[in-house]
Amino acid sequence: MNETIAPEFRPLVDAVEAHLLGKRHAISLTLAAFFAGGHVLLEDIPGVGKTTLAKTFANVMGLDFGRVQFTGDLLPSDILGVSYFDQESGKFVLKKGPIFTQFLLADEINRSMPKTQSALLEAMEEHHVTIDGKSHDLKEPFFVIATQNPHEEVGTFALPHSQLDRFLCSFGIGYPDKEAERAVLLGGGSRAAAAVPLMDAAAINTAMEAVRTVHLSPALIEYLQSLIAYTRDSGRFVYGLSTRGALALAAMTRAWAHLHGRDYAVPDDVQAVLGEVCLHRLAFKEGVTTLNRIRHELFSHVPADA
Amino acid sequence: MAKRLRAWRENRELFLLDLAYLAVVTPVLLLVKAPMLLFLLLVLVLLLARKRGSAATLLLVALAGLFAIFFSIYGAFNFAGLSRLKLFVELILYLLLLAVSLQRLTRTINFYLLVSPVLILALSLFFFDSIAMLVYVVFEVFVLLWLILAYRTRADALSSLRVTGMLFALSLPWVVLLFFFFPRISFEHASYGFRGDEITRTGHDGTMRMDGAALLVPSERIVMEVGFQNAMPPDGQLYFRGSVLYRDKKDHWEPLPAYVRRAFAPKQRAQEGMYRSADDVTAYKVSLYPTHKKWLYLLDLPLEAPEGATINADFETTLEKPVDEPQHYDAGSALVYRYGDRTERTVLAYARDVNRSANPRSAKAADTIAAANPDPKQRLNALLHFFRDQNLTYSLRPEPLDLNHTADSFLFDKHKGYCVHFAGSFVTLSRLAGLPARVVTGYKADRKNSVKNYLAVKERDAHAWAEVYLGDHWQRVETTAAAAFIDSESAELLRQTGTLEDNGERLTRLNLYLLYVKYQVETWVLQYSHFRQMRLLENVKQHPALAAKLAAAFALIVLASAALFLWLRRPRCKDRLLCLLRPLLSRLQRSGFAREEGETLHRLFTRYLDLYPGSALTEVDRLYHRLQYGTAKEDAVQFKKAIRAFLRESTAKGDSDARKL
Repeated sequence: MNETIAPEFRPLVDAVEAHLLGKRHAISLTLAAFFAGGHVLLEDIPGVGKTTLAKTFANVMGLDFGRVQFTGDLLPSDILGVSYFDQESGKFVLKKGPIFTQFLLADEINRSMPKTQSALLEAMEEHHVTIDGKSHDLKEPFFVIATQNPHEEVGTFALPHSQLDRFLCSFGIGYPDKEAERAVLLGGGSRAAAAVPLMDAAAINTAMEAVRTVHLSPALIEYLQSLIAYTRDSGRFVYGLSTRGALALAAMTRAWAHLHGRDYAVPDDVQAVLGEVCLHRLAFKEGVTTLNRIRHELFSHVPADA
Repeated sequence: MAKRLRAWRENRELFLLDLAYLAVVTPVLLLVKAPMLLFLLLVLVLLLARKRGSAATLLLVALAGLFAIFFSIYGAFNFAGLSRLKLFVELILYLLLLAVSLQRLTRTINFYLLVSPVLILALSLFFFDSIAMLVYVVFEVFVLLWLILAYRTRADALSSLRVTGMLFALSLPWVVLLFFFFPRISFEHASYGFRGDEITRTGHDGTMRMDGAALLVPSERIVMEVGFQNAMPPDGQLYFRGSVLYRDKKDHWEPLPAYVRRAFAPKQRAQEGMYRSADDVTAYKVSLYPTHKKWLYLLDLPLEAPEGATINADFETTLEKPVDEPQHYDAGSALVYRYGDRTERTVLAYARDVNRSANPRSAKAADTIAAANPDPKQRLNALLHFFRDQNLTYSLRPEPLDLNHTADSFLFDKHKGYCVHFAGSFVTLSRLAGLPARVVTGYKADRKNSVKNYLAVKERDAHAWAEVYLGDHWQRVETTAAAAFIDSESAELLRQTGTLEDNGERLTRLNLYLLYVKYQVETWVLQYSHFRQMRLLENVKQHPALAAKLAAAFALIVLASAALFLWLRRPRCKDRLLCLLRPLLSRLQRSGFAREEGETLHRLFTRYLDLYPGSALTEVDRLYHRLQYGTAKEDAVQFKKAIRAFLRESTAKGDSDARKL
């Protein structure tokens, strides 16, 4: 049983952490989501390092980085790209939008119109876009980190539940602890040397393949199903986890296990990712839905190893 | 075959129903007559052949069934006494079996098919009244309840079995309470006895045969069981009186002629003053197995006849009809007694009657003794001395005596015989010496066959002794005690059946204890009647200690049932590895590492390991997760070893902690 990050991935986390002090868990989650082939929704107030996380992560992983700042007047074509008539060649030429990248930071996604949001989300799901009736495959791997500001409500369009479901997991970064903040104030973090790529396409492919083959034992499946059943049957939530949610939980669990150097998953893996997988998928019927509340509710009602 | 079996099991409802019928019809098979058995066999064959119950088949089966019923009860139309009820119940049972068979052949379930197992169970209760059946009925009720639960809840067999067990546990105190306050309806002769108990007991019959050619094998079969109300009387007083014989018919002895007996029957009953005081009356309860003779056996000397029986002048206790069913009777006897001061002349004449010419040598000896001892008591003693001096040998296989001169032949020629020869010869000798005497046959019980106040009387306890009239009372004489030797062959025979030496003593003891338990159950459960209930309540009123004991026993039952219920309800160990971990987890809990809400085992172990790094728990943690969640096919042996290692370690740690304190 190993609960520290496997030696092969430790440099990655260390490298990102050099720029985002004291946020190992958020970094690990991002890495896990990436290996699981999903996308991340960062929900937090501005100025806690969402962009830093995305940028550094893209650098470390050796991915092309693209960024779209979502605004109220952003159109789908601003993300996807347009075909225009090239008078020189006399043909329609595709001007690719920022989505044709490996790593896309979709900043403040809730500021744009639903039409634009759904264009991005469709691309995230399908891994290809359709412009003027022609289908264009996106680069592989394709990874999106979308951020949204939970507290600003004026002029925002909240993502509908069906769209939120497309993100593998969602979490905030949160304020740094005292120690880390002190280091930041003293000029650690951002002053660190620019991150250098530590992974290449082949290494990423290997890792993703390994994640897919992580073993889920019958006992673990039982635990997962009990958790999922509880979200559906307990009557505490407005709606339970969907099958896509269940798949997301399994995928994140696998990725987390692999990240910690195991080829099999244990209940601790499930517990490590459960809150983040469920936060944007579940809503309590009464009271505020928070990460800790979801964790407490599920862990205390669905015992592990029992 | 296997395929059919599977197909049968797949039709779950019919399968469960068939199991129910299997449970309830099994005891009935002992009961039904051959034609009905054949009919049931036919139905079984048809079912196995998977014949659809077409109209023609059903008609034929119905006809066969009716014939079977007819032949089963043919000749049983004896409407005397109880057999009417028995016949009626039997008929209902047969009709029910026929109806059920027909319905079962159609392969559809309907209401009466569902209800009939319970009816058959209830009907079979009319026929059986024994411990075996008691146990089986409890088993049947359990099985039926289980099948009903499995049928109605559609739960798997094991979980419905658990629920059945829980229901049983809960019902236990109620059963005891209801049983205590609502005894069995006791109607006369309601007990039929288990069929095994109906085998005739031999041992004592009304006459006494002298021809020793018949091989006498000491039989261990129980004739009757006796429960004494108070302490067990001493060995010398356990004479159960059967019949009294006066007339020497050479090859056998006979009682008084019927007309003589009738003439004196009412006159000579046990009287006050015959025994010392009322305290000397020993009360006891007898269960007598069917002997097909009319005698009831009461301890010498019976004072009160059980209901329906009469005691005659010779203190023989008899029923009007032979004992064909087990008899249970309460009796009282005076074990220290003296009677006979008003014995009729006619009876004494029979007790004096002797043919002097048949046994000339005995007559000569008797004359000599009679001349030397004018006092009857002294004369009896002299006779006994003389008898003893003849070096008589007790033998179970004696050479046949010359039956024309029985006493002479036994005393002076053969010297070998068993109790009847001793008793018969001594009575002849007494009569020759002028003392009226008679032979008494019955059972001389052996205290070896007793536990506490329970006594088993076996066939080999059948015995004969003599009674001599000493002018004012009858004196019992244990004639066999005069035997000087026991021959080796008989000793061997007796030893084989565990009478003489302690060879097989323990086994005999165990068997006796089993008999004792069986007897107690029969007395307090099977024959617990309104009468017994009244007596028990009366006792409780008089002895508060008994009430306390009963209350304590009931509390114990409640506790036991609660414990059983909780045990069945305990969380089931679904997972083998978690089962193995149980002792470890409870040890952790005792040392302050209880599992918190929602905590995984790994986090629990980590908490412990943070405090005690290097503990054997590291290995347990690793192996548990590898076995439970990993792909590795490691066997659990290592895991068990690791758990044991940790338990040893923590025990040692606990010791050292204790020392530090």
